[in-house]
Amino acid sequence: MAVEAVQILRRNRPGSKAKDFCRWPDEPFEEMDSTLAVQQFIQQTIRRDPSNLEAILKMPEAQDEGVWKYEHLQEFCMELNGLAVKLQAECKPETCTQMTATEQWIFLCAAHKTPKECPAIDYTRHTLDGAACLLNSNKYFPSRVSIKESSVAKLGSVCRRVYRIFSHAYFHHRAIFDAFEKETHLCKRFTYFVTKYSIISKDILILPKLDDETPVGESEA
Amino acid sequence: MKIPTAMDDSSVSHHNGGQVGSQIGVSVNNKQNDEPSQSVQYSIPGILHFIQHEWARFELERSQWEVDRAEFEARIAFLQGERKGQENLKNDLVRRIKMLEYALKQERAKFHKLKYGVELQQGDVRPPPEEPPAEPEPAERAQWKQGRQLIKQYLQEIGYTDTILDVRSNRVRALLGLNNEEVENPNYRNYDKQQHDRCDYSMNHMVRKYDYGKEPRKSGVSAGGGYNEEGLSVQETAAVFANFEFLTNQEMDMDEIDDLDAKQSHHPPGKQGEEVDHEAEEVLNELNLLTEREADGGGQGDEYPVGSGSSGGSAVAAGAVAGAGEADEEPLALGELAQLTVSNEPEAYDVASANKESFRKTWNAKYTLRSHFDGVRALAFHPTEPALVTASEDHTLKLWNLQRTVPAKKSAGLDVEPLYTFRAHTAPVLCLAMGAPRSEECFSGGLDGTIRVWNLPPPTADPYDPYDPAVQGAVLRDHTDAVWSLSSAHGRLLSASADGTVRLWAPRAARPLLSTLRADESPTAPAPAAADFADAASRAAVVYRDGTLLLYDLETGQPVLRVACDSPAHRVRSHPTLPLLVTAHEDRHIRFWDGVSGRCAHTMVAHLDAVTGLALDPNGLFLLSGSHDCSVRLWNLDTKTCVQEITAHRKKFDESILDVAFHPLRPYIASAGADGLAKVFV
Repeated sequence: MAVEAVQILRRNRPGSKAKDFCRWPDEPFEEMDSTLAVQQFIQQTIRRDPSNLEAILKMPEAQDEGVWKYEHLQEFCMELNGLAVKLQAECKPETCTQMTATEQWIFLCAAHKTPKECPAIDYTRHTLDGAACLLNSNKYFPSRVSIKESSVAKLGSVCRRVYRIFSHAYFHHRAIFDAFEKETHLCKRFTYFVTKYSIISKDILILPKLDDETPVGESEA
Repeated sequence: MKIPTAMDDSSVSHHNGGQVGSQIGVSVNNKQNDEPSQSVQYSIPGILHFIQHEWARFELERSQWEVDRAEFEARIAFLQGERKGQENLKNDLVRRIKMLEYALKQERAKFHKLKYGVELQQGDVRPPPEEPPAEPEPAERAQWKQGRQLIKQYLQEIGYTDTILDVRSNRVRALLGLNNEEVENPNYRNYDKQQHDRCDYSMNHMVRKYDYGKEPRKSGVSAGGGYNEEGLSVQETAAVFANFEFLTNQEMDMDEIDDLDAKQSHHPPGKQGEEVDHEAEEVLNELNLLTEREADGGGQGDEYPVGSGSSGGSAVAAGAVAGAGEADEEPLALGELAQLTVSNEPEAYDVASANKESFRKTWNAKYTLRSHFDGVRALAFHPTEPALVTASEDHTLKLWNLQRTVPAKKSAGLDVEPLYTFRAHTAPVLCLAMGAPRSEECFSGGLDGTIRVWNLPPPTADPYDPYDPAVQGAVLRDHTDAVWSLSSAHGRLLSASADGTVRLWAPRAARPLLSTLRADESPTAPAPAAADFADAASRAAVVYRDGTLLLYDLETGQPVLRVACDSPAHRVRSHPTLPLLVTAHEDRHIRFWDGVSGRCAHTMVAHLDAVTGLALDPNGLFLLSGSHDCSVRLWNLDTKTCVQEITAHRKKFDESILDVAFHPLRPYIASAGADGLAKVFV
């Protein structure tokens, strides 16, 4: 195509192979003029190397930190769908009747009018659905370019709940967790993210360090 | 000086000093009383005086009487005038009632004729008879109630709940409240009438909607229709009564009207919360659109059973329906009254027909569906319900019920929250098809190469219900690469994949794969981009990435038609009734192909950028296209002209709109965007 010769069109055309999906040259962040630039940039960096946490969480200069955190959390919730899919096959309401990690806490599902002891799989799904609703809410997040301070504060509670999904998988469905983690490095990235921006306090992070290369704790937090 | 003895004490003294005279007079009088038998001495001047005096007195009295008489006469005239006025009014009302009765009968006959194609056997279709309308018999009343129940049931089936009916009747009452106070003022009355018209207009649609629900089950309907007819006549009588009673009251007794107003005013506030309001508004809106669409249909072939001519009739029926929503026991059936009085007026027709003629549908954004974390690749409407499913690059599908909305902050649009999130794909979901004819299933194809069958949860499901694994159906895994297009018809499914094949499935069978269509065995052959059933699902139209369009015979699995085109295609759709194929191309063109000869019937530059989405309306009159230029365009298929352009989505990288869709039954269109939003227009 003549057009493409002069200008790269970053598009997934119907009929393209799975391996070619989103396989286009990276676009420098400065050249992204869309309102979804931050999301584009984050996804682009993750796609390049999902294990390179430093690169993924290195905020571009002059970027609004609220938006940066928000977009990352969106990305986490989205990728957590993958873990939920895997858990759906194994985490049954009969076996995991409550949302637990260690024996210390039972988590109540906040998606209901009065918090409920949902089975773990329901807790997972409800938390992700609730996060999707909140993060897409026109009331709290009407813009993806600037986010008001009161809405940024909402991200913390989402992060805390989302972390429980990781911890449940880790303590009760270790095989799934490991397979998922190997593929996505999501839990490491999440831990790094919440630590770096001090979104949730350290004593809540009950998972042991996942491996030695994880730069948790080395950062400014 | 002699004093007249007979002189009355009341007389005015005409002589001497008044004071002395009167004193003397009194004494004389006393004397007279004491000795009545005493002969009286008359003197001429005394008599004259007396006569003069008497005359003056009579004169005085007479003038007084005259004044009184004039007063009474005036009063009589006034009363007579009043009586005359009352009589005129009464005559007028009686005439009006008769006119209405007559018009109603005629309309009912017309309606019946249009609906069943037979002349209604109605003995008494003739100009107003002289006898007053009869009180409904108890038996009739029972039947009427039954009919009403039936209508109510239909309405509920199609999704009109009591709340909406209530809101509606409350509105009618509110309008009527105005009517009561302002009846004397002709201007206001006109305004009021318009209000009623509007109201009726929307009622009108409600009934049509009910017709929709009814149509597919014709056999069961004739009985229902009968009830309807019956119910109506009783209803009408009752309403006419109410009318009469009410109007008389109004003339005679203003206090009572005040009472009435007060009574009406407590109806609404309890119920009309904001949510209900919203819902009602939404429904009203939807209903308005429905007619508008019907108007369209009427102009172009009229697939709807209710012709425009019968609108008056159905408006009356709507009145009855609205009435059904109200308390049965209410003695003053004001709701019915409102519709009856207005909908049969000639003006009502004028308004309706004018609206229909001048009408040109404009679609407006109504719902924004936000909940996906990444671009929405595909969307499909439920075959009957106001619901849709979206498929996104965030690996999920979501089900949305457009009747469960959250009022958005300041914009006119409404936000919808998803009813259910389908999780099972492990990669972006790329395509979607609704089950046909089974409406409770849908299929999705993803970048992971799987096609998944889903059993749709009911539209009443709560997003936070416990997880039900039964929602996930079979998984079709034969494709070895991304599945880019799905199309469903007659219980079969057609999929196009980047592995180079198009496959035909019977998704619920034990061995679901029916056949594999392959244009070229060589591994470098271009992959299919999209596929669609054509010719009543006996053929498959497939476009390839190199722009080739192939038509396969599904019996033999062999291509029967091959057309080459130099621009990569993104979508193909076959016309619902004509042998016409429409393709969307990277080079901004939409091309139309004759499905028999393969001739290019028309080609047009449709957008400023690659055309990505195509949808044909169920009647095959309009084409909807979406493009990476961020706009959705609606085309008149007949003239191939753009009817409307809507800028709907933002860009993510160089992608914008990824899919568009028409609702198969209801007036909704939708677009899906790379910005993670889906929008529904009404």
